[in-house]
Amino acid sequence: MTDDIIMEARDVTRDFGDFRAVENLNLKIKKGEVFGFLGPNGAGKTTTINMMVGLLRPTSGQIFIGGESVEKVEKGTIGICPQELVLWDFLTCKESLMLMGDMYQVPKEELKFRVQKLLDDLFLQDKANTVVTQLSGGMKRRLNLAMAVVHQPDIVVLDEPSEGLDPQSRRVLWNYIRSLRDDEGKTVILTTHLMDEADRLSDRIAIIDHGKLLRLDTPTNLKKEIGEGDVVEMKLSNPDKKQEVISILEDMPDVHSVVEIEDALNVRALDAVSKLPQIIDRVETTGVHVLDLSIRQNTLEDVFIDLTGTGLRE
Amino acid sequence: MKFISIAKKDFKELIRDRRGLVMILLFPMFFMLVFGFAFGGMGQTNQPHMISVVNYDTGATIPGTGEQVNFGNNLTKILEESTYPDSDVHLFNITQTTESDALQKLKTRDADAELIIPPNFSQSVVALITSTLNQQTTTTPSANITSTIIIRGDTGYTGFGVSQGILTGVLEQYQDKLLNEIQKALTGTPGVETDSYLQTKVESIPGTGSFTTFDFMAPGMIVFAILLLTTTVAAGLTREVEKGTLARLKLSKMTSFDLLFGGLIPWSLIAAAQVIILLTVAVLIGFHWQGGFYTLFLAILVGIIGGVASISLGMIIAAFARNDRQAANLGTLISVPTSFLVGAFFPLPQVVIANFWGQPFQVYDLLPWTHILNALRSTLTFGGGWDTIAYQVGWALLLTIVLFIIGVLLFSKNRLKAEN
Repeated sequence: MTDDIIMEARDVTRDFGDFRAVENLNLKIKKGEVFGFLGPNGAGKTTTINMMVGLLRPTSGQIFIGGESVEKVEKGTIGICPQELVLWDFLTCKESLMLMGDMYQVPKEELKFRVQKLLDDLFLQDKANTVVTQLSGGMKRRLNLAMAVVHQPDIVVLDEPSEGLDPQSRRVLWNYIRSLRDDEGKTVILTTHLMDEADRLSDRIAIIDHGKLLRLDTPTNLKKEIGEGDVVEMKLSNPDKKQEVISILEDMPDVHSVVEIEDALNVRALDAVSKLPQIIDRVETTGVHVLDLSIRQNTLEDVFIDLTGTGLRE
Repeated sequence: MKFISIAKKDFKELIRDRRGLVMILLFPMFFMLVFGFAFGGMGQTNQPHMISVVNYDTGATIPGTGEQVNFGNNLTKILEESTYPDSDVHLFNITQTTESDALQKLKTRDADAELIIPPNFSQSVVALITSTLNQQTTTTPSANITSTIIIRGDTGYTGFGVSQGILTGVLEQYQDKLLNEIQKALTGTPGVETDSYLQTKVESIPGTGSFTTFDFMAPGMIVFAILLLTTTVAAGLTREVEKGTLARLKLSKMTSFDLLFGGLIPWSLIAAAQVIILLTVAVLIGFHWQGGFYTLFLAILVGIIGGVASISLGMIIAAFARNDRQAANLGTLISVPTSFLVGAFFPLPQVVIANFWGQPFQVYDLLPWTHILNALRSTLTFGGGWDTIAYQVGWALLLTIVLFIIGVLLFSKNRLKAEN
């Protein structure tokens, strides 16, 4: 294992009865990077990170942290911010953070300083002495995160950190995640089903579905992999003729792929704007009209669609 | 000292959750009030027993004098006028009624017992008088007329059990006195009382003469109430698992001992508060105990040890329950039968398994609450001091520590390791 690899999963599989949540997962996470797990709900992301932090034992395979088995790694190396709000309802923000610091044996003076800084960084200073039950949803999310990092772990694991956040709180959170990597040199592992979040924050992304790793690369390379260009989304007047339209469009030069997404078609092509009249003509030869149409650039979602042949499940 | 931080956290959570705290503290109050009301007559020592009398007696004529008598009415009057020894309180509250009404009263428990005086009651008494007279004056035996007084009631009801016992005693006395009076009348002298050769006297244990059922049962009730703390603690700890806060703590340097010992401190304060409330309410509703404030203080101390044992049991349950509802059910399933096993309500058969320092050790003595109950009875009911209860307190402490260690080990194994 090279020095810059902080976490490694080797042939990790996890079963819950007959259900296989994670299958034969192999990946390496570099020190100091933001690593994103992208996948729909139920893809196996949370199960994967629970095994990575040592909360869940794999059915087979092993997890290594800094070259050591996760079971033997020193407590405090990892901090996890769970998907759900995991807070003590009747403690204040400050008390919650002080308690977690105590549990990691952070020296008192150092802990006071860190708590103040976290409250400042996550805009919770005004609510330092407010009990959790009286905080807004966004504040609770930020406190949830602060409790995961108060002991300054080397690896910060964030499970769906933006879930239920308003845009303002999400911006605060994203900036904080970047600062963890850029200013403090932490390794951040995050799971998300939000393309935008994965694209903006992650240095590398693992696309996972049905417990299997589908791709692992940088966002740029992933988008390049399916070809540069645009995506044309169109709705047809006669959905029954979708298959006929797909085969006609797939024969067109420079059209990379045509995929059926719910009640629409996604056509990916280079310079789609100039090819639009030809595409529409081809569609109309089948006797079908285009009811609605939009053009946009390639996104991670298109990568995912290309890999799985479907849209992200909610 | 991570357990101190956990203790502070648990204490703040307990204090700030006002609704939960009020329920925890109100429980022993209502509990003791209900039991006190049911078994103690709210401080009254003696109360009249409710008796329905159905008098079918048709009366009789005394031979010779021709006097018309009705001994059924006479017996009813005597029952009405009987009082507790050295007291103005009547033994019975008599209602003369019909058989169907009496039956209805039994069913609704408006009457503890029904006394049916047969039509030939006076005739049989007269026959008894005549027979006694004949025995004294002639050798010819007179006709024997037997009458049967029926005492009817719900045999499964404690009120009936007590009433029928007293009624039987009073009826026997009535017959004896009647014979005695006849003999005295025949001889013309006061004579010798028939019962003066052989007398019986019921004596209570010193100091407990005025005790009610409630006073004897109170230590058992205190133990039962303390045992129910198991459920509250188990549910509270399991909530930590369910909410995910335990997973946070699991990743930290906190140990099972830190979590459980830290939790034990504030919960012990709750246990102390519950024991003080239980005893205060008991005293306010007329609980009698011996030994003054010293034994009350000892009882509080013993009660707290019992509380700590219950908290430890709650921690063991929390090591297995998947959610707080399951913890509450499991807690009830274990704590209620345990309260019977330690003899909180009924005495249990002797099952001696060993002898320690000359004292028999029974199978129930493996449970700390048995010793708690024994100690509470020794000090509150019989006024024993520290030297009397030291042996029981020692066992209770030892077994409580064992329970706590089991709790720490099980919690660590089942809750603080990676899930399988």
